[in-house]
Amino acid sequence: MSYPAKLSAIIELFSGLPDAEKRETLIAYADQAKSQEPREGESFDLEDVRKDEECTDTVAIYLRLDEQGGAHFRISLGPQVQTLTRAMSSILCKGLEGISPADILEIPADFVPKIVGAELVRLRSQTVYYLLTRIKSVSKVWLQRQRNETQDNNG
Amino acid sequence: MSIDSNYAHPDALVTTSWMADHLKDPGIRIIESNEDILLYDMGHVPGAVHIDWQRDLQDHTIRDYIQPEAFAALCSKNGITPETTCIFYGDKSNWWSCYALWVFRLFGHEKVKIMDGGRDKWIEEGRPLTREVPHYEKTAYPVPSKRRDAEIRAFYDDALAQSRGNLPLIDVRSPGEFKGLVTHMPEYPQEGVLRGGHIPGAHGIPWKQAVNNDATFKTAEELRKIYQTDLGLKPDDQIIAYCRIGERSSHTWFVLNYLLGFDKVRNYDGSWTEWGNRVGAPIEKSL
Repeated sequence: MSYPAKLSAIIELFSGLPDAEKRETLIAYADQAKSQEPREGESFDLEDVRKDEECTDTVAIYLRLDEQGGAHFRISLGPQVQTLTRAMSSILCKGLEGISPADILEIPADFVPKIVGAELVRLRSQTVYYLLTRIKSVSKVWLQRQRNETQDNNG
Repeated sequence: MSIDSNYAHPDALVTTSWMADHLKDPGIRIIESNEDILLYDMGHVPGAVHIDWQRDLQDHTIRDYIQPEAFAALCSKNGITPETTCIFYGDKSNWWSCYALWVFRLFGHEKVKIMDGGRDKWIEEGRPLTREVPHYEKTAYPVPSKRRDAEIRAFYDDALAQSRGNLPLIDVRSPGEFKGLVTHMPEYPQEGVLRGGHIPGAHGIPWKQAVNNDATFKTAEELRKIYQTDLGLKPDDQIIAYCRIGERSSHTWFVLNYLLGFDKVRNYDGSWTEWGNRVGAPIEKSL
């Protein structure tokens, strides 16, 4: 599948940048990570807050579905989470905005090195893939719940 | 808090407080080395340069460190001379700063120190960070005549001989890795090791035993209890330390060498990612 339009635009932006500017842009996205946290008064359809073996600190993913079935994510990250992962949280919240959970499951992870650059995807920075995995996991759970509810209603 | 004068080489450490008062001292270079690749860019100690363990210190083609010419070029670029006192600090309780310091020692750079407590302590104390990248006048660092691999670095064959000779091997990984229950650190993804366990005869002494919760090193008395009283090591023992890729064992190497004064300690940087993948390498597991 091709990437969603907003994510495509971000990939395109990074693809044209030399390494130094790529790095600066990642820092700018990492700086925006705080603004992707849940805001007061917001409610969500699904919350997945946990610290597991794959990441150094707690990662919380919040999913809200709009009336058209589009997903909107909020992410909060513990202080020990790596800077690249922080950058990726901003990129994914923006890039996946409004996409259906079913489509999110189909997004290939091969865009990550296109954004981050080969020099930064390496040993001890593999958690850059972690957020996409968690977002997909939340999407999958939400879809399963929907199916269960549909079955219950039909049964 | 001051540095414990009972360390074998107390001058190998500086406090964050000392660092804050000496940021502009001539003759020093502050060096940040992290696991988090972009952390330096997010803010660092004013005046600090960034040395990345992979980009700057490792050969990018074969699994090895850079050659003396590249080390000289790295130092020259960062305004370092053989007389410069390099003060290292970083994230993860100074794992990577100890690793960078160890690599500097591989090339014979004598004047090296660690900022006790590292980056986290500096931030915790509310000390300033900047994103301004300093530029120092290029120096002419002489190319070291050789890399001192034989003195402070161990290879597979050295570790095997150590194991067969029943000489001290210290496995500084987490207990689960040592026992062979897992092949990665807690909170880290699998990094490609086929077998779990440890080198036969190795003692499992996790690196973390040497530090306090604020990432500062434990006192000389506490360290002596861990490595000498409880483990039975003697200062003139020939010791090899290892972990997964040599960074946590650099931390233990620093503790044994600089804080306890053991002068025959080598770091096996091939560590478990070599041993646990090597065909025919003997492995011990424990419950």
